[in-house]
Amino acid sequence: MNNQFRSDNRVGWLMAAPALTGLALFIGLPFLLALTLSFTNLKLASPLPLTFVGLQHYARILQDRVFLRALLNNLIFAVVVVPLQTGCALLLALLVNRKLPGMVVFRTLFFLPVIFPFALISVVWILIYAPGPNGVINSLFEVLTFGFWQPQDFLHNPYLALPAIMVVSVWQGAGFQMIVYLAGLQDISEELYEAARLDGANSWQQFRYVTFPCLRNTTLFVVSVTTILSFRLFDQVQIMTKGGPLNATATVVFEAVRAAFERQQIARGSAMTLVFFIIVLCLTIFQRRMVSEERRVG
Amino acid sequence: MQNKKIFYSYVARLFLICALIALPGCKPKADANKQLITVWAHSGQEGERKVLINQVTRFNLEFPDTHVEITLLPEGSYNSQLQSAALSHDLPDVIEFDGPFLYGYVWQNQLQPLDDLLPAAVQADLLPSIIKQGTMHDHLFAVGMFDSGLGMYGNKALLEAAGIRIPATVNDAWTAKEFNQVLKKLAAKDQDGAVLDLKANYRGEWFTYAFSPIIQSAGGDLIDRRNYLHADSVLAGKEAVNAMKTLQNWFQQGSVDPNLDDAAFVEERVALSWVGHWEYPRYAKALGDKLVLLPLPDFGQGSKTGQGSWQWGINADARNPKAAAQFLASLLRPENILSMTEVNGAVPATKTAIARSPLYREGGPLRLFVDQLQQSSVERPRTPAYQVITSIFQQAFDEIRNGADVRKALHQAAAAIEQDIIDSEDYRSVPRS
Repeated sequence: MNNQFRSDNRVGWLMAAPALTGLALFIGLPFLLALTLSFTNLKLASPLPLTFVGLQHYARILQDRVFLRALLNNLIFAVVVVPLQTGCALLLALLVNRKLPGMVVFRTLFFLPVIFPFALISVVWILIYAPGPNGVINSLFEVLTFGFWQPQDFLHNPYLALPAIMVVSVWQGAGFQMIVYLAGLQDISEELYEAARLDGANSWQQFRYVTFPCLRNTTLFVVSVTTILSFRLFDQVQIMTKGGPLNATATVVFEAVRAAFERQQIARGSAMTLVFFIIVLCLTIFQRRMVSEERRVG
Repeated sequence: MQNKKIFYSYVARLFLICALIALPGCKPKADANKQLITVWAHSGQEGERKVLINQVTRFNLEFPDTHVEITLLPEGSYNSQLQSAALSHDLPDVIEFDGPFLYGYVWQNQLQPLDDLLPAAVQADLLPSIIKQGTMHDHLFAVGMFDSGLGMYGNKALLEAAGIRIPATVNDAWTAKEFNQVLKKLAAKDQDGAVLDLKANYRGEWFTYAFSPIIQSAGGDLIDRRNYLHADSVLAGKEAVNAMKTLQNWFQQGSVDPNLDDAAFVEERVALSWVGHWEYPRYAKALGDKLVLLPLPDFGQGSKTGQGSWQWGINADARNPKAAAQFLASLLRPENILSMTEVNGAVPATKTAIARSPLYREGGPLRLFVDQLQQSSVERPRTPAYQVITSIFQQAFDEIRNGADVRKALHQAAAAIEQDIIDSEDYRSVPRS
């Protein structure tokens, strides 16, 4: 691995140059800027002279009730959505992997939400969650509970708003992970199943001892991508709830955008994104460790 | 005849396309004697765009020495585009902007005073609300072609069926106590008890615009206007807390229709709709003679209401401020104001234009909006902190609407506003560098 990127390998560096330049320009530079700005008093388009305020913004946001709530919301969201979405994706992939006529139609249908823009999905789901007995979800629950269900205003209920957003996110995201799993499933050699069947394994045992172990790398990929995406939660919140009610759906990215672009507090927003970066970095390192350990064992 | 019409419409379209895309080849050749005035405006509804471009074309014909070049930018990110241009000193000579941003631009030294540039007669003809909103540090920095009106539309049939007194003037407004009775009486005759539309389906600035008048009517405010440094005593004082508690109660007792389909009033699900002038055409069409316009309730210090809309200013670096002011003065001519307010329905900004407007003149169906703008509307706090104030107030409003402790929510909001003012060095004036 390391030999390929030694400094005496000029051609290699040359070929990597366009990508590295892009990386430095669009990832590295903004990151360094955010890091620097988070220690200043910068406000958007402010005529005041720039002064350094040290760790003031970090100290403040880590005591700010809304920001802490946003961190907690992100955590809850990830803890619920990552297993749920991964599970749903695996289930869907197993379903559409059967060799039955018309399966392409189902694959397309399940994948469809992925290609819709989130703005559109959010608006449609606002209507689905409509309060009052005529809302889609409300009337569905009423039928399912034989009329015992009391109509709820999901997006304005402090206990239901975040779960409501979780459902939308899983619905939208699972299709993509389903495709990834599908590719993983089709990679598994049919001979393994044949051997398992000869050994007398039933379908559950085939799944448990053949399918699941063979999907280990796929699962690790899916879990890490879903985790990072779930920490980036923003679009649904911005359109469906604006962080409310009672900050029940505020997220770290939403708070950073609100600080920087609604209140011109660029420095404070930068500090929030830095905190966000550190969290995602820790998660990624943790996951990479897990992957490399698995590899050594394997 | 028909062919000729089609031909002209093609020519007009071609002209529009050239003017908008501003292809270098299509640009009118810069004449050495001509003064170029660049103008940026927001791309509003189709009718507004047409009227504005038409007015620019006629101005250019009338004043051959000046050439106004207008660029329309999308409304969604309009302010961010202006801010980016300001950072790189690329702002045009004449700028249109939404009311809340004016004081920020003045603080950033982007605008120049209009006091000596606009003819005194034009200034004297403007509504007092336009002058109040456009003035900072005793100088007039911006003028608008129109202002907004905020009130309550009522369904006369439903109100009368419930035996409710219908106020006619600002001084006649329901008191807050009376308003609670009104809601109860209406609810008794209503299927689901939700009888009030507060446009809870709207977003952002609406909540500050529409509901800070409640606080002001009670004797509080968003910020102490004596020096624009303190908020707690007025925003979290007894008056403001009680007013917001009353509002919270409307939500909690189920009086407010969530209005997701934005049709609560036109479908007659509710008898009252708390909204601005812009709903008049739709409401008048749906309700006809049953539509009445009412002032907002009086919380103790008289009924108060909001104001403010899009405004025009002249860049501090404008190459030719006099010609730019000439363009602004032409926009403020009665016929130009009226052709604009005819398409967007807003309150005309000058008294002359109002007298000629069928909707707003004495006896017109929307006359109340004019009366309010002359006596009971409260301008947005004239401080660069306003953008922060409104964002924080919206957050507090969301908390209150959803049942949070009102006193605590308002104290926290006031503290956050005061913190921002301290961080911004009291928004002290910074000389132009």
